[in-house]
Amino acid sequence: MGLHFLPTDLLFLGTLMLGLVYCRNVARDPLARARWAKVLRSVGGGVASLVLALHVTVAVLDSVRVQSENEAPLTLLDHLLTPLRTGVETTYSAPFSTHAYARENLESAPGTWVRDYPRLQFGGRHLVHPEEEAAGDIARRSLRGAAIGLASLGLLTLIINLVRRRPPGRAWRQWFEPAWRWHWFALGILCLGVGIVGNLAGGWHVLGTDKVGQDVLYLSLKSVRTGLVLAVLASLITLPIAVVLGILAGYLQGWVDDVIQYLYTTLSSIPGVLLIAAAALSLDLFLSREVGALHSLALRADLRLLALCAVLGLTGWTSLCRLLRAETMKLRTVEFIASAQALGSSPGTLLRRHLLPNLMPLVIITTVLDFSSLVLAEAVLTYIDIGVDPSTESWGNMINGARLELAREPVIWWSLAAALGGMFGLVLAANIFADTVRDAFDPRLDPAARGTHGLA
Amino acid sequence: MALLEISGLKLVAHAQGRSVTVVESLDLGLAQGETSVLVGESGSGKSLTALAIVRLLPSAVELAEGSIKLGGRELSSLPEREMNSVRGARIGFVFQEPQAALNPVMGIGNQVGEVLVRHRGLRGRQLRERVVELLAAVGIPEPHRRLDDYPHQFSGGMKQRVMIAIALAAEPDLLIADEPTTALDVSTQAQILDLLRDEQRARGMAMLFITHDLAVAHRMADSLVVMKEGRVVEQGTRDAIFSAPRQNYTRHLFAVSPRLSSATLPAPRMTAGEPLLAVRELAVHFSQRGPRWWGRKRILAAVTEASLDVHAGETVAVVGESGSGKTTLGRALLRLQPADSGRVAFLGRDLFGLPPESLRRARRELQVVFQDPFASMNPRMTVQQIIEEGLVAQDLLLAPGARRAHVARLLEKVGLDPACATRFPHQFSGGQRQRISIARALAVEPRLIVCDEPTSALDVSVQAQILALLRSLQEERGLAYLFITHNLGVVAQLAHRVLVMHQGRIVESGPAREVLFHPRQDYTRALIAAVPSLP
Repeated sequence: MGLHFLPTDLLFLGTLMLGLVYCRNVARDPLARARWAKVLRSVGGGVASLVLALHVTVAVLDSVRVQSENEAPLTLLDHLLTPLRTGVETTYSAPFSTHAYARENLESAPGTWVRDYPRLQFGGRHLVHPEEEAAGDIARRSLRGAAIGLASLGLLTLIINLVRRRPPGRAWRQWFEPAWRWHWFALGILCLGVGIVGNLAGGWHVLGTDKVGQDVLYLSLKSVRTGLVLAVLASLITLPIAVVLGILAGYLQGWVDDVIQYLYTTLSSIPGVLLIAAAALSLDLFLSREVGALHSLALRADLRLLALCAVLGLTGWTSLCRLLRAETMKLRTVEFIASAQALGSSPGTLLRRHLLPNLMPLVIITTVLDFSSLVLAEAVLTYIDIGVDPSTESWGNMINGARLELAREPVIWWSLAAALGGMFGLVLAANIFADTVRDAFDPRLDPAARGTHGLA
Repeated sequence: MALLEISGLKLVAHAQGRSVTVVESLDLGLAQGETSVLVGESGSGKSLTALAIVRLLPSAVELAEGSIKLGGRELSSLPEREMNSVRGARIGFVFQEPQAALNPVMGIGNQVGEVLVRHRGLRGRQLRERVVELLAAVGIPEPHRRLDDYPHQFSGGMKQRVMIAIALAAEPDLLIADEPTTALDVSTQAQILDLLRDEQRARGMAMLFITHDLAVAHRMADSLVVMKEGRVVEQGTRDAIFSAPRQNYTRHLFAVSPRLSSATLPAPRMTAGEPLLAVRELAVHFSQRGPRWWGRKRILAAVTEASLDVHAGETVAVVGESGSGKTTLGRALLRLQPADSGRVAFLGRDLFGLPPESLRRARRELQVVFQDPFASMNPRMTVQQIIEEGLVAQDLLLAPGARRAHVARLLEKVGLDPACATRFPHQFSGGQRQRISIARALAVEPRLIVCDEPTSALDVSVQAQILALLRSLQEERGLAYLFITHNLGVVAQLAHRVLVMHQGRIVESGPAREVLFHPRQDYTRALIAAVPSLP
C-alpha cells in the first residue's frame, strides 16, 4: 500500500493548495473578504459554489491514487465506488433495467437453448422476480437514501453551527433567515440527491451501462476530474503568460507593447482548432515514440491530458492579455499611480502595490468565465479525436461514443444524457458563479464604493 | 396661472432594502417667461427634482408624493406614451455633460432633426432648413456645412450649443437646464449663459435652471430656490434673497462662495533671495500619430517657453482655460511627464539632470495634490497605507509604531479623526479624501506642493474649508504652493502671485493684485470679465 500520483494529480492538487493560500490572503484583506462574502451570501453565488465544491471534492478524491499489491493503482473515488466499478455487464443496459440490451443464447433448461435478454450481473441481481419486485425495491431504496440524506443534512447543519459557535436552538431559526434559507435548501437537495443516488447505485445501474458494460454513473463521476483538471491546469498556464505580457505591454508601452501586440494578434488570427489539432497530433507522435514504450498506459493517457492542457493554455491567453493591457494603460494614467511616483516609489512597488491589486478583479472574472469554455472545449476536441486519450473517462469520450449509439434501435440515450447533464451542471454552476463574482468585484455596482455621490 | 406647478413633491430612493427621502415637500411655481434657479450643493436633490418633472428618475428613485402640473395638466399620472410627447415637445432638457448627452455616432444635423421629425412631423427640405435655422440661432457658424459633422468635431461649448438647439427645436414652453455650464470654461460659460437668456426672452419660455454656483444663479434668475439635503431652505425673488438672505444656510453659502475681490487677497510677500523652484523655458510637446501609422507624427506644443519662480512660503497660481497647458506644466516639472527642453532647478539642483536614484530622493521635497479625490487614491489600500506610502518609498521612520504615530498626527493636522487610519478611501466624502491627499503629501515634509485643481470637484463650502486648511499649513510650515486652477475666485483667496496661461504660453504674470485687478493683456482682461460675479 502506498500513495501514487500521476503528473496531473500533482499539478491539480498543487493548484488547489495555491487556491487555499489565496483564501488565506483573502481572509486578511478586508476589502477582498467583503467581496467574496458577497459572492457566497448571494443566492446564485452561494448555491453555485456549493455545487462547485461538490465537483472539486469528487475530483480530489479521484486524484489521490492508492497503490495496492499487484494491481494497477486505484483512486480513492474508485475505492469508494467499488460496487459500481466492479459491477460490469457484458454490454449496454438501460437505466434501472434488470436485463441486458442485446439478446444472447441462454440455456433455459439443461440442453434447451433459447435466445433471450439475459439477466444482468449486477443491476437488480438481488431480486428473484424482477418484473414484480423492481418498483418496490427502487422505492424502498429511494426512501432509505432520502432518510440518510436528511440525517446527513441535520448532521451538517449541526456541525456548521458548532463551527460558527452558535447555540443550536437559536441557530435553527437562523437557518431560516431569508439570507441563508436558499443555501440551506440547496444543501438539502444535494444531500437528498447524493443519498438517494448513492443508495440506489448499490443495487442498480442508475444511469445504465455503456458498450463494454461499464456503469455510466461511474464514468460520469470519473469525467468530473478530467473536466476540472483540464480547466484548472489550462487556466494555470494561461494566467502567468497573460498577466506578465499584458502588464508589460500596458506599462512599458513603446516597442515592448508592439512586439506583444503582434504576438497575440498573430496567435489569435490562426484558427484555434487548427492550432490545437496540429499541436496535439505532434505531441501524440512524440509521446508514442518517447514514453509509450516505457511506461504504463495510465501514464501515457495522463501525459496526453497534460499536453492538451498545455496546448489549450498556450493558445488561450490572448483575450485576457488584451484586456489586461488595456486596463494597465488606463490605470497608468490614474492619479494614484502618479502620486505614488511623485512620492518616489520604485517601479517594482508601483507594479506590486498599485497595479496588480487593481487588476486582480479583472483576472478573476476572466478566469472564471474562461473556465466553463475550457470544460466545453475538452468535449469538442475529444469529439473530433484530438482531445484526451480514448482510455481516459471524459464527457467528450462519452459524447464521441454516442455518435453510433444514437443510430441504434431502440436508441441508446443514457450515455449522451449523462454526459450532457454532467457538463451542464458544472458549466452552469461555473457561469452563475462567474456572474456573481463579476457583480461583486465591479465597483460600479457596489453602493458602498459610490459613497455619497451615488444619487447626486 | 403658473405654467409649471409643483406641490408637495417627495422623492424616495431605495437601496439595499433601505429607503431614504431625497427630496421632501418641495413647492415651486414657474410662470411663462420666468426663470427660476434651483441652487444647492451636491446631494441637495436639485437634479432629481428636474428629472422628476420629465419623469426620467433613476430606477432606484421613486416619486412618493406630490403633484407636478404643466399648464394645468398633471404629469405624474400621465401614461408613458403621452409623456413621450410632452418630453421634447413641451419641455426641453439641457444636460451638464454635452459629451455624454450627444450620440457620438450620429451627425448633429440628424440629432437636431430627430426632435423635429418626432414632434413636428417635418420632412426633407423643410426639415433641413429648420435645422440650419436652429443651429444658426444657437450660434454655430456656417451651420449648413456642419450638418453632417459628428459631435467629436465640435468643442465643448459648441456641443452645448447643439444640445440647446435640440432642446429648443420643438419650441417648448419650459426649458430645464441642469448645470449646463459646469463642464465649460468661464468664457464659454458666459457665452452659453447669454445664449440661454436671450433665447428664453425671445421665445417667452419658462426656464428652470439648476446650478451650484451662486454667481451663475444671480446672473440667470428671476426667482431663486435654495436647497439643502432635499429640503427647500429659502425661496423668493432673486433681489430679495441676494440683498437680504433670511436663512443661515443661505448666508453661509454667500460667505463661502469665492468671489473676485481684492479684500480676500493675502498680503504680498517679500520674495528676496534664491527661489525654491526656478523653471526656465520649459517646453513639452505631444506627438500624435497621424491617420496612418507610417505617416509623419504630428507635434502638439502643450507648453512653450514657460519660465517661473516659486519662493519659499509663497503661493503662485497658474490660471488658464482647459487646454491651456497648465496641468501639463505641473506634471512636467514634477517629472511625471517628460519635458522636451528647458531647465528646472529645485533647491539649486537641476531636476532634469538627476539620475533616477537621486531623483527619487529629491521627490521628497516636491509633492503633489490632484484634482480628483476619487482617482487619486488606490481603492485597495487603507488610509494608513496611503499616507505612509511616502515614508516607505523614502525609507523614513522605519519603526511601525513611529509611522502609525506620524500618520495619526497628520490626520489630526488635516482635521480628520486619527481612528480613520484603518478605513478605506471609498468610505470618505470628497472633501475628506482631499484632506487625506494633503496628509499624504505632507507626510514626507515637502517644501513645495503642486496643487492641481484640488478643490474643483468639491462643493463650495467644502472648498472653503480646504482652502483654509492650505492657508494655515502654509503659515505654520512655510510651505510653497504652485496652485493650478481655472477658478479665479479661488485664486483671489490664496495667491501671492498669478501666472496666466493661454495656448501653452504664459501670457501674463505678476503679483495677484495687479494681474487680477489691473490686467495688462487683452486675454487676461477677457478672462476676468467673463467670471460671473456676486453682488
